[in-house]
Amino acid sequence: MEDIEKHETVYSVSDITGIIKQLVASAPELNGVWIKGEISNLTYHSSGHIYFSLKDEGAVIQAAFFKYSNKNLDFKLEEGMSVVVFGGVTVFEKRGQYQFIVYKMRKEGLGELLQRIEKLKEKLYKEGLFDPRRKKPLPKLPRRIGVVTSPTGAAIRDIIKVAMRRYPNLEIIIAPAKVQGEGAAESIIAGIQELNKPAWGVDVIIAGRGGGSFEDLMAFNEEKVVRAFAASKLPIISAVGHQIDSPLSDLAADVAATTPSAAAELAVPVKEDIQDTIEQIMEKMTKRMVMLLQSFHNRIALVLQYRAFQNPVSMLEQHELTLSDVENRISLSIHKRLYEVKESLNRIKDLHLLVKNRLQNYKHVFMMNASKVEHLSPVAVLKRGYSITLKGNTSIASVQGIRQGDDVKVIVYDGSMNCEVQSTSNEVSFGKKS
Amino acid sequence: MEKKAKKPAFEEALEELETIAQKLESGELTLDESIQYYEKGVALAKFCRQKLEEAERTIEILQKQPDGNIQKKPVKVKEDTGEIEDDEDVQGSLL
Repeated sequence: MEDIEKHETVYSVSDITGIIKQLVASAPELNGVWIKGEISNLTYHSSGHIYFSLKDEGAVIQAAFFKYSNKNLDFKLEEGMSVVVFGGVTVFEKRGQYQFIVYKMRKEGLGELLQRIEKLKEKLYKEGLFDPRRKKPLPKLPRRIGVVTSPTGAAIRDIIKVAMRRYPNLEIIIAPAKVQGEGAAESIIAGIQELNKPAWGVDVIIAGRGGGSFEDLMAFNEEKVVRAFAASKLPIISAVGHQIDSPLSDLAADVAATTPSAAAELAVPVKEDIQDTIEQIMEKMTKRMVMLLQSFHNRIALVLQYRAFQNPVSMLEQHELTLSDVENRISLSIHKRLYEVKESLNRIKDLHLLVKNRLQNYKHVFMMNASKVEHLSPVAVLKRGYSITLKGNTSIASVQGIRQGDDVKVIVYDGSMNCEVQSTSNEVSFGKKS
Repeated sequence: MEKKAKKPAFEEALEELETIAQKLESGELTLDESIQYYEKGVALAKFCRQKLEEAERTIEILQKQPDGNIQKKPVKVKEDTGEIEDDEDVQGSLL
């Protein structure tokens, strides 16, 4: 022992603890990490800090969740709760202990759960389960609505209240269902399938529950429940109370409502509104008919004002008058016509005379001109002792080209002579001169 | 699922009533036609009013009988809250 004291350095507890603290603080594996565990020895301290142990099957670690870090926590911690925490290990020198300082905390499995839901959503989307073309319209006037929910929950109360207010003589048929915890999914599916049976005479289904934590609503994210919504032959409304994350049943249903009350409003019309609509249409139609009939009435009244409808005898007289007037006009017109015909006959006679005179005139003029024409004719000239001399077929007017011995033809008034030219001369003389 | 359900009589009647009102409004009809349409409209409105009153207010809950059959059972509700009275007596699930 003495040798050791002489040759080796001796550390104090504080020194060693200091070294440990430094090692821990500088180890990346111990800082800024997520760890998973179950809560035990939970203490909500009056200072606002939360102390607890985090444990699993093999180990335990002290944890502190200080006020400034836990003020945004949206759920209450409970003994045995499985959580995932983010933080780092630190050494508490005075006690010789190490502990985990928590900066963030969330429920274990929530992240995976969200991821699983997201995957399911994608799968069902690809299958076409959320296709808008699959959506059925809600009936305008449902006589009987079916509700799948807990008979003791807030949802059924809200639905009954709203539905009765809007449509006092409505029929509601409830298919009781467990809406959370084990067996909830099967119970909801049984309800939807039961109400789809024609025997119940339901027109539209509301299936859902009041608001709750994310886990409370999980049944409406289960694949078989979502499929049951999509498979409903009757129009179905998903009525799960929620603010942020819509359950998948919202996507598969024909219509989604954010609360059961809203679902009831969507499913049930306000009776008075429908009545108002009908009465308004009828009022409009009646007004229109009254107007139409009034206009016809006015037209009839106008027609009745004609004298004929007021005093038929006078109408007869009127006809008589008209008749005689027509007679007069006809005889007058016949006389006029006859006179006109006579007139034109006379005119034709005159015309005839005129034409006759003219014709005689023309005859006279023609005769005069005809005698003139006669004088111009060669025959008349021949009669007066002239002759025509032809050589061949050509008449001869000159001695040029005529030679002694030529045969010529001399045409006189009553015949012709064939002659032989004895001689020619340029001298023109008649027999008396020579 | 995708097949179109036949339109309920009420909706058809209401739609026809609206169509008739529009036709009358258009002024394209003869007097005879107008009267015919108007009479049809009056009949449709009467039919719609009847339909509105046809249902009777009932609230029933389905319950599984010992033999496994499901029957409906009328329940009373509190007028102001919509709460089902004596709800301890009703089954919470069909299963």
